[in-house]
Amino acid sequence: MVDFVQNLISGVAVGCIYALAGLGFVLIYKSSRVINFANGQFIAIGAFMAYALAVWVKLPVLLAALLAMLLTAGLGFLVERVFLRRLVGQPIISVIMVTIGLASVLDGLMYLTPFGSGNFTFPQFLPQGGLSLGGVNVSYPQLLAIGFTAIFLVLFSWFFQRSVLGVSMRAVADDQMAAMSVGVSVQQVFALAWAVAGLTAAAAGIVVGAVSGLNQDGLIAIGLAVFPAVILGGLDSVPGAVVGGIIIGVLQSFSTAYLDGLFSQIGLVGGGSQYVMPFVVLLVMLWFKPHGLFGTEEIERV
Amino acid sequence: MKRAIILVAMAFLGLVMAQGRTVNLLWSGAITGPTSDVGGPYGAGVEDYCRYANEQKLIPNFTLNCTVRDDQYQNPNTQRIFEEALDRAKPAIYLGYSTGAMLQLKPLINEVKMPTIPASAHIGLIDPPNNQYMFLPVSSYSEQVVALMEYINRTTKNAKIALVINPSPFGRAVVDHARRAAQRLGQTIVDVREVGSGNLDNTALLRALDAAGAQFIIHQNVAGPVANILKDAQRLGLNRKIRQMGAVYTGGSDLIRLAGDAAEGFLWASSYYTLDENAPGINLQKQLAQKYNRSADILNSTNYTAGMLAAAIAIEAMKRAAQRFNGRIDNETVYQALIGMNGPNAFKPGFAVSTKAGIEIDFTRSEQTGAEGLRVLEARGGKFVPVTEPFTSALFRQVRNP
Repeated sequence: MVDFVQNLISGVAVGCIYALAGLGFVLIYKSSRVINFANGQFIAIGAFMAYALAVWVKLPVLLAALLAMLLTAGLGFLVERVFLRRLVGQPIISVIMVTIGLASVLDGLMYLTPFGSGNFTFPQFLPQGGLSLGGVNVSYPQLLAIGFTAIFLVLFSWFFQRSVLGVSMRAVADDQMAAMSVGVSVQQVFALAWAVAGLTAAAAGIVVGAVSGLNQDGLIAIGLAVFPAVILGGLDSVPGAVVGGIIIGVLQSFSTAYLDGLFSQIGLVGGGSQYVMPFVVLLVMLWFKPHGLFGTEEIERV
Repeated sequence: MKRAIILVAMAFLGLVMAQGRTVNLLWSGAITGPTSDVGGPYGAGVEDYCRYANEQKLIPNFTLNCTVRDDQYQNPNTQRIFEEALDRAKPAIYLGYSTGAMLQLKPLINEVKMPTIPASAHIGLIDPPNNQYMFLPVSSYSEQVVALMEYINRTTKNAKIALVINPSPFGRAVVDHARRAAQRLGQTIVDVREVGSGNLDNTALLRALDAAGAQFIIHQNVAGPVANILKDAQRLGLNRKIRQMGAVYTGGSDLIRLAGDAAEGFLWASSYYTLDENAPGINLQKQLAQKYNRSADILNSTNYTAGMLAAAIAIEAMKRAAQRFNGRIDNETVYQALIGMNGPNAFKPGFAVSTKAGIEIDFTRSEQTGAEGLRVLEARGGKFVPVTEPFTSALFRQVRNP
């Protein structure tokens, strides 16, 4: 039973990292219906900025993390202003293609920096080990992930339900033309969405860095790994991203614990089911509930 | 007028002769992309040794043109770079990198008769077919893993071992040999798990291996995923219960930097000298890293040593080819120089250990592994220290081709 609970808790912790990484994805989709394929690059840039500020500028890690989140938010804002603003009103596929191009450009730029090759670690800023309770153990970086996710979930829930800007974002997502006709600045909403997405991506990158070190490919891979999570939860749902992330995290943990062993027993080289299971879930979800668990089901009248 | 033209032509010819001829060497590997933590320092090692070779004129009358290309660990990139080089630069020798790309290029390498020294130590590269032109600088991954199993057997009989491997041909290279070796040693391989980078939590893995009764985990991976597993094992208190160890690319300074004190006690099979040892190659490495302004991370990396060793073997072979074949350095003469690198003509650059007296790197037509000796090192107090003398795995020779 302890094993089961431990695997569950570990899965939830990893799921929270996915949720954090997926939030930016959802915010952009929620406000503009654009799928941001450069999400992984934002995660990597945020994490490396925090590293650079902490190690090269020698700022305290937490201050460096905060600054990196703000700077990555600024980068998101800049990207929207420079590349995406002029695409307002253009077909969504064009905008999506721009994000794919953006991912490639950001990749290339990162390769030109010292971060393009090798592994990096933040200076120690959390206690070693983890919290143990009844034989169940959670590491401090994992607790940080859970804490960050909870804070962002509460903040965004409030933001989208109560704040004028949040309601404007939802209005723009529903119908750009209608929102513009009642005075909502679509451009401002888009810029804000990209900025906040940058902020959450940086938070995710910093948490991943604290858990497993910084490596460009590893960080970018997290950005892609959240696809199943956000599709499962619903592309336009903030709570959906969190629930989807946690489900995927737990699924991975359980498949490593219980499925991989079975593969080994029947003579296959075991392991690796954790990499496959999220995409199996993704396929099943797309068959039966393409809008995800909490996504908005759009009905088009013909 | 005629006399003037002849004089100018002769002066020009003299200038060209004085500058010497150019000979090409190609390295392509993952400077960026997956496994770039290995490829970056490895490429730097190749680059720096080439600069040093040119400065020291290690190949008299020849200027060495070393092309170092980033293939981003993508096989199609490696193939394109190699084919481009065949068309344009016609390298005399090729220093390869990843297991997957090398296995893919093996038939082509054999077809064009290109002497090749890969960074990958996959035994399949020097096993038939199409293996004639492949030369491993150090012992294969399989030999390293089997040697670790023999080391385990010295203290623990009938040990239960789990293999944790990279999800790639690089990782899977060792599985069959390890299974055969376990049978002969009376050990049990309780589980084989594939773990790649981005392993954010390894609790389920470690608990499953513990439940399966694993006393030892042998890793065939790069340092990043191993460091994460070591940290989780320490957090779960399993570091005292399960001893972890790994083949050459798992260990070194990268692992210690990433895993911190969780790396303590990790056992590492490596053919290379460490930076703390007084060996000619290591002293040269320190000197070159300083001269070419390499960072401390690169200097400390065993992969930097590995890149230098590969380049040193290649350049020595070119030099010997020029000496033996009247200044002709091409694929054929370099191949002949490589397979003649044995006995009194063995090469001793001082980067790798050896079990044979004075012989560090030797090749023959049928023996395509350079440094056959390896040691087991243990992470103690933030650095790796050898815990065995150099040895070769006798058992590996039995299980290689049963």
